[in-house]
Amino acid sequence: MTREFLGNSFFYSSVLLSQLLIFNHLNIFGYVSPFVYLIIFIHYKTSYNKTILIFLGFITGLIIDLSLQTYGCHTFATITICYLRNWIEKYSFGVNSNLPNAMIKGTKLINRFMFFGLIIVIHSLIYFSLIFFNIEILGSIIFNTLVNSIVTFIMIWLISQLISNK
Amino acid sequence: MQSIINSIIKNRNLIIYIILSLITFNSLYNSSSVHYNGIGKIATFLSGKSTFFSSSVYSYFNLENENQRLISENLKLKKIELRYNSQAFGNKSFEPNSTTYASVILNSINKSKNIIVVDKGVLDGISSEMGVITSKGVIGIVKSVTDNYASIISLLNTDLKINALLKNSSTIGSINWNGLNPKILKLDDIPLSSSLKIGDTIVTGGMSFYFPKGIPIGVIVNYDNSSLEGYYDIDVSVFNDFSSLSSLYILERTDNDEIKKLLND
Repeated sequence: MTREFLGNSFFYSSVLLSQLLIFNHLNIFGYVSPFVYLIIFIHYKTSYNKTILIFLGFITGLIIDLSLQTYGCHTFATITICYLRNWIEKYSFGVNSNLPNAMIKGTKLINRFMFFGLIIVIHSLIYFSLIFFNIEILGSIIFNTLVNSIVTFIMIWLISQLISNK
Repeated sequence: MQSIINSIIKNRNLIIYIILSLITFNSLYNSSSVHYNGIGKIATFLSGKSTFFSSSVYSYFNLENENQRLISENLKLKKIELRYNSQAFGNKSFEPNSTTYASVILNSINKSKNIIVVDKGVLDGISSEMGVITSKGVIGIVKSVTDNYASIISLLNTDLKINALLKNSSTIGSINWNGLNPKILKLDDIPLSSSLKIGDTIVTGGMSFYFPKGIPIGVIVNYDNSSLEGYYDIDVSVFNDFSSLSSLYILERTDNDEIKKLLND
């Protein structure tokens, strides 16, 4: 239990630090900063407490917001996907969603694809909607959401493969 | 109580999510001017919509008062109009301040001698032989009055004949009803020598005890000039819809008694 907690804490801290120190300043194509920290909420085990997940999302979002001066946009997007994770799991994995530890290993690729995609796209859509906060530039919101989601998805997918292979 | 606690525990994630979202939005609202303005706009929109809804409900229940206010305003305007008309035509016989508003309580259009009853009587300053109009035009003449009610001989009464004037040519005739179509009156005594066309307006001629000059009656919809008697046979479509009368103005001519005395002598 303690070992699992320490392992999770190490994973959480290293992801958060790499987001703060590396990915926030990456600026791919000049404007895309992938939200790699979402991997924390993707890899959060289904057997863990969902209420703690929401608080974890709040704290993580708050830290990212403070570092990027985004005033709560990350926080709201993050707590929303943490709250919606239950439905996203059920929608993506169907009957298998209740199986603990079944999230990454031993699931169909298409299900994993959808699970990753939904979390990333919903988060990006909420984040960019709040950042632009103007319905008249809906095109920019959708464009940024798509580009950022694709880059984030690729990064998280690659990192997930590395973790799984370990 | 237990069920409330159970329900809170059951929905704790939703409650925590809402609380954290409110904290986040509060931070957005207070820290970022873009979001401050945006949220302010949304709040203004929502408060505007809700105020509009509540004011619609309030105004619906306030319609009666509003109606009364409009009636008194209309009466005031009608007096100003009459004062203007009496000055324009040099007709000083009608005292605008004695114009009274009345509501119809009984009305008919399906008889040959139709009568309208209104809710104003002697106590409201109404007496017989006063002219009755609406905002659209002439209605009839007060026939008899009690303390609180008055009966009016409608234009749709074969006994009533009113002095009328062709507005364009100033030819004077008399208007009455033949008891057939409640929307069509007959204009008599217009000689064939006068020119007229369909669409000409007919107004009161002013040569009567009841109405000042220039109050609208109707428009010519048809005429026949083949009469051997030397007069047109003219159909006039009346402006007022007698089947849906609700509020009327009763006019008082101030010098009726003086003229009658002169005629009797």
